[in-house]
Amino acid sequence: MPKVDITIEVCGMSGDGTIAAGGLLNAAMSEAGFSVLAFDSYPAEIRGFGRCVTRSRIGNEEMLALAEKTHVLISLDDEQSRSRIPFLEKGAAVIFDNKPPSYVGEGHAIPAHVEPDINLFGIPFSDLAAEASGSTRGRNLTALGGFAVIFGLPPEIFRHVIQKKFAPKGEKVLQANLMSFDAGYNFAMTAFEDRLLKILTPPETEEKTEKLLLSGNVAIAQGALDANLKLYFGYPITPATPILEYLAKALPEKGGKVLQMEDEISSIGAVLGCYYAGQRAMTATSGPGFALMTELITHGIMAEIPAVIIDAQRGGPATGLPTKTEQSDLHAAVFGGPGDSPRIVIAPTNVTECYEYTVKSFQLAEKYQTPVIVLTDFFLDNRVENVPMPQASKEALKDGNIYPDPSAKGPYNRFELTESGISPRAVPGMEDFMFTTTGLEHSESGGPNYTPENHMQFSEKRHRKIQGALEDLSIPKEFSKGGSLDVGVISWGSTFGSALEAVQKEQEKGLKVGALKITSLFPFHDEIIRGFMERCGEVLIPELNFQGQLANLIGHLHRKDVVRINQATGKPIPASIILEKIEEVLKA
Amino acid sequence: MSEEHFVVIGNGPAGNQAAQTLKEKAPEARVTLISKEREGYYKPCLLPEYMAGKISEDQIYLSTVDAYKEKGIKLRSGQEVVDVKPRRREIVLDHKEVLRFDGLILAVGGRPRIPEPLLVFRDLMMTLKTLEDAKTWIEKISRVDRVLIIGGDLTSLAVTKALIALGKEVYFMLDENAFWPLRCNDDMFQDVSDRLSKRGVKTFYNCKLNSMAQRSEHAVEVRVGDDIFEAGLIGAFFGLVPNVGFLARSGLPLDRGLLVNETLNTGFEGIYATGDCAQVFHPEIRDYWVSIGHDNAKALGRTAALNLLGERRPVDVATESLFDVQGIKVNTSWWMEF
Amino acid sequence: MPNPVIYSKEPEDFYYMDVNVPCQSACPALTNIPAYIRALYEENFGRSYEINRMANIFPGVLGRICSRPCEAKCRHGEAELGRPVNICHIKRSAADLRDRVSSSVKRIFSPTGKSVAVIGSGPAGLAAAHDLSTIGFSVTVFEALDHPGGMLRYGIPEFRLPREILATEIDQILGSGITLKTGIKVGTDVPMEDLMTGHDAVLVSTGCYEPNQLNIPGETMPGVYSGLQFMMDICAGQMPDLGKRVLVLGAGFTAFDCVRSALRLGAEEVAVCLRRTEEDLTVTEDEIFETKREGVKIHSLMVSRRIMGNGVVEGVEFMRTRPGELRPDGKSEVTPIEGSEFTLPTDAVIVATGQRPQPFDTPGDKNNHGLLQADSASFRTSLPGLYVTGDYLTGPSTVIEAVAMGRKAAERIARDLTDQPFREKVVRLEDTLITDRQRAWDFLPRQEMPTIEPVEDRFTGMTGEVETGYSPDLAETESKRCYLCYLHYEIDLNRCIYCRYCIDVAPRDCIKLVDRIETNTSGAITGFEETSNWEDVNAIVIDNTRCIRCGECMRVCPVDCISVTRVELTERMNEKGI
Repeated sequence: MPKVDITIEVCGMSGDGTIAAGGLLNAAMSEAGFSVLAFDSYPAEIRGFGRCVTRSRIGNEEMLALAEKTHVLISLDDEQSRSRIPFLEKGAAVIFDNKPPSYVGEGHAIPAHVEPDINLFGIPFSDLAAEASGSTRGRNLTALGGFAVIFGLPPEIFRHVIQKKFAPKGEKVLQANLMSFDAGYNFAMTAFEDRLLKILTPPETEEKTEKLLLSGNVAIAQGALDANLKLYFGYPITPATPILEYLAKALPEKGGKVLQMEDEISSIGAVLGCYYAGQRAMTATSGPGFALMTELITHGIMAEIPAVIIDAQRGGPATGLPTKTEQSDLHAAVFGGPGDSPRIVIAPTNVTECYEYTVKSFQLAEKYQTPVIVLTDFFLDNRVENVPMPQASKEALKDGNIYPDPSAKGPYNRFELTESGISPRAVPGMEDFMFTTTGLEHSESGGPNYTPENHMQFSEKRHRKIQGALEDLSIPKEFSKGGSLDVGVISWGSTFGSALEAVQKEQEKGLKVGALKITSLFPFHDEIIRGFMERCGEVLIPELNFQGQLANLIGHLHRKDVVRINQATGKPIPASIILEKIEEVLKA
Repeated sequence: MSEEHFVVIGNGPAGNQAAQTLKEKAPEARVTLISKEREGYYKPCLLPEYMAGKISEDQIYLSTVDAYKEKGIKLRSGQEVVDVKPRRREIVLDHKEVLRFDGLILAVGGRPRIPEPLLVFRDLMMTLKTLEDAKTWIEKISRVDRVLIIGGDLTSLAVTKALIALGKEVYFMLDENAFWPLRCNDDMFQDVSDRLSKRGVKTFYNCKLNSMAQRSEHAVEVRVGDDIFEAGLIGAFFGLVPNVGFLARSGLPLDRGLLVNETLNTGFEGIYATGDCAQVFHPEIRDYWVSIGHDNAKALGRTAALNLLGERRPVDVATESLFDVQGIKVNTSWWMEF
Repeated sequence: MPNPVIYSKEPEDFYYMDVNVPCQSACPALTNIPAYIRALYEENFGRSYEINRMANIFPGVLGRICSRPCEAKCRHGEAELGRPVNICHIKRSAADLRDRVSSSVKRIFSPTGKSVAVIGSGPAGLAAAHDLSTIGFSVTVFEALDHPGGMLRYGIPEFRLPREILATEIDQILGSGITLKTGIKVGTDVPMEDLMTGHDAVLVSTGCYEPNQLNIPGETMPGVYSGLQFMMDICAGQMPDLGKRVLVLGAGFTAFDCVRSALRLGAEEVAVCLRRTEEDLTVTEDEIFETKREGVKIHSLMVSRRIMGNGVVEGVEFMRTRPGELRPDGKSEVTPIEGSEFTLPTDAVIVATGQRPQPFDTPGDKNNHGLLQADSASFRTSLPGLYVTGDYLTGPSTVIEAVAMGRKAAERIARDLTDQPFREKVVRLEDTLITDRQRAWDFLPRQEMPTIEPVEDRFTGMTGEVETGYSPDLAETESKRCYLCYLHYEIDLNRCIYCRYCIDVAPRDCIKLVDRIETNTSGAITGFEETSNWEDVNAIVIDNTRCIRCGECMRVCPVDCISVTRVELTERMNEKGI
């Protein structure tokens, strides 16, 4: 089968069923055996007058990032879709409603704006849906019907995913949607008989691995469930709310509990309390909520209590851009809070890692008796990838706690100074292991102690402990043939996919370019990073923030200034921008 | 948008020439060219050769869709005009977009004609006017051995040649209703019939088509006079009629085509018709004529554009090549080549 | 509790009907079209027929040969909505499918003791006679020819209008108590003065029987026929021998009836010759199409100059014509082009360029053509008690116009003679429920009238009706297509929560966010000032001129704030009538 790599957009006004159509499209594509990477954007207001766009990149190889150009635009509202035209690839297909409810003036229909090479497919979505199902509400499904024919996808796949989505809503709703889909399908079959593109016809014999469509958020929630999460505390905030929603349904079924708290402060407080008592707990929030949590996070650091905190980053500061993506909480996650407060900060780069890193965060928190912050962002949380069913290994699910030796005699020093900095931790209720815990600086026994020597000694202990976690944290992964590189791109979080795609394109051209993925942001593997940098002529650090927060964190490891790509637009960074920068650096 | 907006409908030789002339002579004006077909500007008379595989698709194009941008002409391809409101100076597109114009040139050309009595067989007959039609022929032709041609216009002879070149057996039913560049008479029919027979074509004339019925996917049973035979494909060739059906509600003067005066004006200020769709009254010959042929169309397209821009140029009537077809004078220059 | 019914005579309600039920207001007789289509859909064929017959006494006839002004205005035929409902043929189906019972209206009011003579038994005369008879007048109809029906009987060929259909409906009309006297030509067989003294009123509805002449050389040659005479001969059973080639000069229904009759008489090459173009024809599209399918050619933009031949017709010399400057009505006068003469050979020429009223011996003021002068609004002449209606008054018109005019004249005469109104137009309003119409029905294609196939089978005689009629299934399907514009959807703004779900499902721009509602002096809504700025929205309204009555808005409304009223323009007997 020839290489497939196309990007499909569905665009409409809120109320058009845009997001639903995009979701069905992704599900169908996944079922057809394609790799899917998709991301929706929609207005912040509930039922406002706003634009909804879903972007899905479909291919037969793993998709690392969204592409910049679109090959197919399904327009459910031409006024809204107009803004998408600059992103159309040459010769792209535009599927639009050619019988909108009213006549419009020049320029208010999508055909007015497209270049003549664009392949226009006019389908009367609303009329066909109304004719078939009695209502125009199924027009998004009619559009998908047209899409399926034009691109040669078997209708059964779509019918199956429609069935899955709508069967729970009752037979009537299901039938209306199926009929709307069929109406679009049949119309396009006749109307475009001679113009079908059929480039997505799935191979018939190829064996397919069972894949699951997951968003980053769902992967996180599922990871937490698999890691035997007992209690979840949270307060709704975009883009972290879906984790709360998912767990609210799923966790009680596994015997756990979900409690919506009055705010983020009580959420983190409850998480610490739960862990203090020896059970796994988690909270998820975004920038503004995270800021509220910092004081209690440092309490966890001081009192050496585990905690798992998901910080799903969005545009900031303050309330900022609730529905836009950004990687600008890195400084806050690593440094936020009073005092010398070392903690573990990790950041997955794709949906599979969202799952894996969440699972791992519980073990890390337990072993190192510290809050662990998992940094994601709006794009990673909401993007959908089809991934093989993730499954945590037995090893990964093991209890990370290091308990005191029960046979040990003598008084129990909860904060015993050890070589690793890890003091075996008892939980309340363990006989003979009573201890006090406080947010005040304390001695080995746990009692308050403000002597200069003690504070110095314990500050050092806490840092030693966290630095020691490096042995359990994923080491930076290099993507190159090794040796000296002209340009090395270092990236983290959701931006890494774009970085790798750009680097791979350059590598295909035979250029000496490499990528380094950093997922452990604190502590970080400075020797490995420095080693990589030393082999690079130039180091490029693309990230979605204005300050260059990763560059600030690790830039000093390079012998000269790193080249920063700081994009603070609220949108994911496309590979093409990184590619351009690489070329620019190579030329210089 | 205060600049003048000129709209040309149709991307054939006349429309193309009109749009180009408008842009050349009025560079400040906005020129929109609307074309129902998605393809660029090509020579339809080469379609039979393309069908026969003698030339490639690239060779029939005169201009691709991309070339218009360079010339400053906004090409809307694959978009269909469904109504014109001459008094409001608006056109309505199939997708319900309404465009205002300051000047309009209709160059919509013709569409294949099928006489009403044969309309009952419409679904069984193919026509050849557009590149898309040609592609349909190519797709279907490989699966059949025998083709029946009904009618007898200029295209039909070229298609017959192409079919013979492809090794197909051709039956030809000459029909008096065919759009013939000369008034049909028995001598002519005999002459054509003889020529066709020499090339191995079985010819019927003065016969009545009794019935046609689909017998299988690739066979239609035809009864002509006393003969019964099967044909894989049936082509209907009765010339073209101006493609002006969409103007029925417009109030523009229609007869067979759009009625215009010798300056190609429709009677509405700033609205002109040109090319095959214009039925021109010319005071010199005191009659109407319709022009066909590529070069004539180009010349007419240019004239319409110049007149829209303020000139009052009468169209040239080359009287020596005028023929009378069903009461309408036809000006042709290219049919002689066949 | 039954829904209250309100009868209104407010000007704004009449304005509403005029604008919002376009088919009914386009009908000269104001037939309640949505109501009869709905009745037919409900398989209430008899009722459907009766609703028709209230406005028009010839449903079966006009269901075949009406000029269908309603269909031109049908909302379903608006550019974006498809093709008009086949209103005419649904009417025919009501007549075809109803039980075979006579549908005569007996006297509604007691006898007035007054008598009226009606001259001419065409559609106008019979309509007037029927209305007068049913409200208590003693009516006698005088017919010059042997059979009643006028142009219906003598001007329209049987293959378009079977005679038993006509006979049935005339019989129903006469059944209301009318006396018919045929074979009596008033002014010749009976002096007009006698009728005037014998009756309280006399109504002249003698129509147009004088063929227009071309006034060109050769017109009197054998082989040249007047279209009207040609049709009358055929209708009377005389079949002229036309020869092989026939040219018909004219552009009306009669011209088309002539060419199609000529084909049935054995002519082989038949053509209609138009001064103007096919576009300008008033004949219905279906008729033109069927005529062409039968093999007739249509020649346009030509006018005859002389008929050529040596004792017998050999050809016609024409001149080309040219459309001139456009008139405001969108048409243009055609002018012949000097020097453009050409000849078409033919064996016969039928001149079907219209007809005009025939003068007859009568008292009263005349115009310079010798025709009675009358006021077209009051139908009165210079003599009290003498009235004129129908084509005699207006010149050639359509059957439905003639019926409407006959009825109006009857009402005028009745009021003049009794000082009382009898029938009056009212708007009937009744709250109702949403119907079972489904949105999908809006997409049903127009059901074409089945015809005799193959075309050759039509030529076996002069009488076989070409249009064979809808089957009950076809009739039902076509009736489903009607939007039922007599339903009025309205949003109760006091209950509306402006959720706009209705706008999401609207089939077209029929529900509007408006800043201001425009009204005329009578209070009728004439327009809306729409706004896209949420701050300026003062109301959310259904624009009934755009509404296709699909009911989707009502179905999705979460607060049930949309209601339906059935609004009908109908007529009511005035209670003050005797």
